[in-house]
Amino acid sequence: MDPEAAKTARESLELSFQMSNILDTGLDRHTLSVLIALCDLGLNPEALTVVVKNCAQKLSSSPPPTPASSS
Amino acid sequence: MEDDDQQKTLDLVKELVHRLLSHNPTAPNNAAQNPNPTDLNNSFRYAVRILSSKLTPSIAPDADAIAESIKRRLATQGKSSKALSFADLYNKFASKTGAGSINNKWAVLYLLKIVSEDRKVSQASQNSALLLPNLTLDDREIGGDSRNSRRGDKGWENGVLVVAKDPENLREIAFREFVDLIKEENEVSEEVLVRDVLYACQGIDGKYVKFDADLDGYVLPENFKVPRSTRTMVRKLCELGWLFRKVRGYITDSLDSFPTAEVGTVGQALCAALQDELSEYYKLLAVLETQAMNPIPLVSRSATSGNYLSLRRLSVWFVEPMVKMRLMAVLVDTCKVLKGGAMAGSIHLHAQHGDPLVHEFMKSLLRRVCSPLFEMVRRWVLEGELEDIFSEFFIVSETKAKESLWREGYRLHSMMLPSFISQPLAQRILRTGKSINFLRVCCDDRGWADAATEAAAAAGTSTRRGSLGYGETDALENLVAEAAKRIDKHLLDVMYSRYKFKEHCLAIKRYLLLGQGDFVQYLMDSIGEELSEPANTISSFKLAGFLESAIRSSNAQYDDRDILDRVRVNMMVQSTGDRGWDVFSLEYDASVPLNTVFTESVMAEYRRIFNFLWKLRRVEHALIGAWKTMKPNCITSNSFVKLQGAVKSQLLVTLRQCQVLWNEMNHFVTNLQYYIMFEVLEVSWSNFSDEMESAKDLDDLLAAHEKYLNSIVEKSLLGERSRPLYKSLFVLFDLILRYRGQVDRLYEGIYELQRKSSKQTAKKTSEPPGSWIGEGRKALTQRAGEFLQNMGKELGAIAKEYTSLLEVFLSELPVQQHIDLKFLLFRLDFTEFYSQLHPTK
Repeated sequence: MDPEAAKTARESLELSFQMSNILDTGLDRHTLSVLIALCDLGLNPEALTVVVKNCAQKLSSSPPPTPASSS
Repeated sequence: MEDDDQQKTLDLVKELVHRLLSHNPTAPNNAAQNPNPTDLNNSFRYAVRILSSKLTPSIAPDADAIAESIKRRLATQGKSSKALSFADLYNKFASKTGAGSINNKWAVLYLLKIVSEDRKVSQASQNSALLLPNLTLDDREIGGDSRNSRRGDKGWENGVLVVAKDPENLREIAFREFVDLIKEENEVSEEVLVRDVLYACQGIDGKYVKFDADLDGYVLPENFKVPRSTRTMVRKLCELGWLFRKVRGYITDSLDSFPTAEVGTVGQALCAALQDELSEYYKLLAVLETQAMNPIPLVSRSATSGNYLSLRRLSVWFVEPMVKMRLMAVLVDTCKVLKGGAMAGSIHLHAQHGDPLVHEFMKSLLRRVCSPLFEMVRRWVLEGELEDIFSEFFIVSETKAKESLWREGYRLHSMMLPSFISQPLAQRILRTGKSINFLRVCCDDRGWADAATEAAAAAGTSTRRGSLGYGETDALENLVAEAAKRIDKHLLDVMYSRYKFKEHCLAIKRYLLLGQGDFVQYLMDSIGEELSEPANTISSFKLAGFLESAIRSSNAQYDDRDILDRVRVNMMVQSTGDRGWDVFSLEYDASVPLNTVFTESVMAEYRRIFNFLWKLRRVEHALIGAWKTMKPNCITSNSFVKLQGAVKSQLLVTLRQCQVLWNEMNHFVTNLQYYIMFEVLEVSWSNFSDEMESAKDLDDLLAAHEKYLNSIVEKSLLGERSRPLYKSLFVLFDLILRYRGQVDRLYEGIYELQRKSSKQTAKKTSEPPGSWIGEGRKALTQRAGEFLQNMGKELGAIAKEYTSLLEVFLSELPVQQHIDLKFLLFRLDFTEFYSQLHPTK
């Protein structure tokens, strides 16, 4: 990727992250970048949201995991 | 490439799941948590399953619309600063294009939106998802938040509802039941209905709302289950659709029938104005449609949205367009059958409305509609041109000959006269254009164009097109007044200076009305004997010769040659037994444009007056001739000497009788003549002169001339009411002529007598046989006596007849209406001689 494209990509990501903060989505930068990449590939955003929600539910339903030994 | 993508996708998904599950903001130490491997795998499988199900999104991929809805949501939540910064960010985001940027921006935005909404919802309790579907986000969120706070300490245990003794729970149950009820009843959702109504308002049938030709309206068919209130509301809103159909139908009809020339320019202007209004209306509908799309209905059940545009909101939006559309529909109804000026007039009537909205609307429509009309007026008034293909103007022209151009060439068509142009104004407009045409056609004059441009400059408008509009009736009046003033003045100038109208009138007075006394005298003298012949033996050439010589020997020779050329001899239609006296008349030849004033009928009137005056003159001439004979001269005085006593006394008596009768007749004729010449002709002429001076335009002039003629006719006993009087007058005249004949014979006899007696005294030689002179003095005396006796008898008869006729005449005179005839009576009877004779009067 040439530096110009890299710069554009970085700025887009930054803007998206800020928008996501305003909207209080609770997504961090890395997750957001993955999501953006998936959207760009043409996946249905509604489906992605379902996935996100699912995981969020799973996260909130399961008790906060104790610092277990990393796998 | 596909596989590559697939692999990339799977990797990314895995990464995503990992990240999501390890991300836990509530962890106290904020360290990355390692998730359960089973959890991870489960999640991953679930994710793949969902993502490969190829669900398509339920909304259109429009990034701008999504951004708008996000902004709006932020704004309605009161976070307007956030909304502004979001807007800013979005602008920058959207402007990033090219390599390395995001292609499906809409997807990203949509994602963010749903995720944030989901988060909000999941922070509230689960029950809030079952709230009323038609409530706005506001209520729901507030309600949700409040409920959340209130129930903060309650806690949920595996979704079991804890029933407690507080009123909110009851409310919850009630809400739930209601929601179920609504879901049952509403087969058709409100958004769909709103969209259908919007289609109906453009005349298009929607999915559920269709146009029913029987009921003549847009209806929701009965088979759809909709609550009654919704049905009524839909019906009300679709009235707008019905009105719209009507207006649009009219416009398309007019445009179609334009080639067949049923719709005139005014109708076209109306259509154009209506179409402009309709395009405004379309604009409104477009805005409403974007509103209806927004916020977008979502797939995720947990985040419902209230539609911004409900039926009720729609009815509020439609209030103003409904009023306007109703006005337009009413106009369309009234104007379907009208054309031209009538259409403008009826629209003007509609504009007389108290409501300022209606008034303004109608005024703007009228301004457009009247512009072709005003243009026509302007052209007519400044150039005299009628361009009226569809006969919409209130002035119509008819092709007539040049003479009757003024009187009958143009007239007002009152049906097409719009109501904001008053009758006097219309008359003035008609007259101005007529004058221009008259000048152009009959007078061959070009100067009116200058007058027109001057008028336009003075009125402040230009002579170009389209400088006048409705609502400026004052300006129009101004223009018309200026143009009328100038053109009339110009026309009168042309009439007076170029065509010498005044001079011609004067000439007619002098020749046809016998004003030029010496000329008449000569004429009478020369053609007197000629006219006593039977009419069919007289040649008009000879008479023309006499006329010419009469002109030359009188003061008339100094008159203008052009005028003299027009005086001609005219032999009227003769019947058998007519003498020349009956058919002779003079005529005056008036050419264009003067024959507008001196039409055929006018000339016929003049001829009648001429005949009367000519007869009067003839009688006067006869009497004067008689006087000449009756002058005392040596012949008659000689006869006194020669004759014998009895005869002498007889002669004296006869002579005296003759003289007395002559006196009476002369008195009558002189006074009548005086009355006619001075009290009738001169007075009328001076009145007419004054009116000519003060005439403003040709109509005034025509009226003045007619008045002049009428007054002459009335006063000189030629009118309808004076018919019996007129007859008796003519009998009198005949009598006078007979008298003249008698006098001539009498005096001839006397001269004969005289001659005989003088001859007898002079010559005592033998006389030619057969003459009675030779019989001697006695016979002479006897003859003379007989002759004189006869004469005396006849004169006596004449005298008696004369007196009786005069009495009849005088008795009828005071009965006449006209006041001037009383003066005639006064003159004739100023000594009351006649009234004394018949004291019964």
